[in-house]
Amino acid sequence: MGNKIMHILLLSCSKATELMEKKFHFKLSITEKIQLELHKLMCDACKRYEKQSEIIEEGIRSEIQSQQNNVDLDTESLKTQIKEKLHKL
Amino acid sequence: MSSGTNQLSNWVEEYTDDLYTWAYHKLSNAELARDFVQDTFLAAVEKMGTFKGKSSPKTWLFSILNHKIIDHYRRKVNQPLKMENQSFARFFEDAGGWNKNQLPHKWQYEDDAHLLDNDEFNRILRQCLDALPEQWNICVKLKYLTEKKGEEICKEMEITPSNFWQIIHRAKLRLRDCIENNWYSG
Repeated sequence: MGNKIMHILLLSCSKATELMEKKFHFKLSITEKIQLELHKLMCDACKRYEKQSEIIEEGIRSEIQSQQNNVDLDTESLKTQIKEKLHKL
Repeated sequence: MSSGTNQLSNWVEEYTDDLYTWAYHKLSNAELARDFVQDTFLAAVEKMGTFKGKSSPKTWLFSILNHKIIDHYRRKVNQPLKMENQSFARFFEDAGGWNKNQLPHKWQYEDDAHLLDNDEFNRILRQCLDALPEQWNICVKLKYLTEKKGEEICKEMEITPSNFWQIIHRAKLRLRDCIENNWYSG
């Protein structure tokens, strides 16, 4: 997609991939949604990017979740440490 | 030792587990979580005079902890970035099309729903996340760490929405590229 007029109508690849990332966090406007869908019809590279970006997004989510589930609740040493600090004040 | 510190010692016994679990959940780092819980109690000593007992001590301690966590992320998200933005030019031509040598290629198993169960893929993802500039790394994780919506995250981080998603865009371009360079092609 090197054509400049096409970019205005259907977004450039840099803009299209930006909207794909925006979409994970914010609502797209109707115009943005249409532009993005049209762009994807024309551009296999960005379609692939979106698919892989979704995989990465899900990977980050599950990575954080598995870390969170790993909480070690042995807080006795922490309690002792905090109380010592408090008593030194 | 004042009666205030005595009171706090009791609260340390009573609330440390809950505070630590929460801090760990939001920070995803055991050492940081310990520091934040300790700092919460140290801050509580100083603020003891302002605690009127209108809220429960637990609610009060959690609000101190939450402020500290948000403040921590806000500073990281707003730290000035060095020349990292230059990488954008690596991916796209001036007119906005993909650079020929940066076109996304097919990954092995990208159509497989179980790709994220693959230990090797997850190891590569972690490694690529760790290689990001700290600001980018935090921005891509904030949604899942805070479990909040974009608008709310931006308000707390004092960053504009467009700035936020542009940082994420750059981070994801870099992540995708890093994974592609380390994972098998399809």
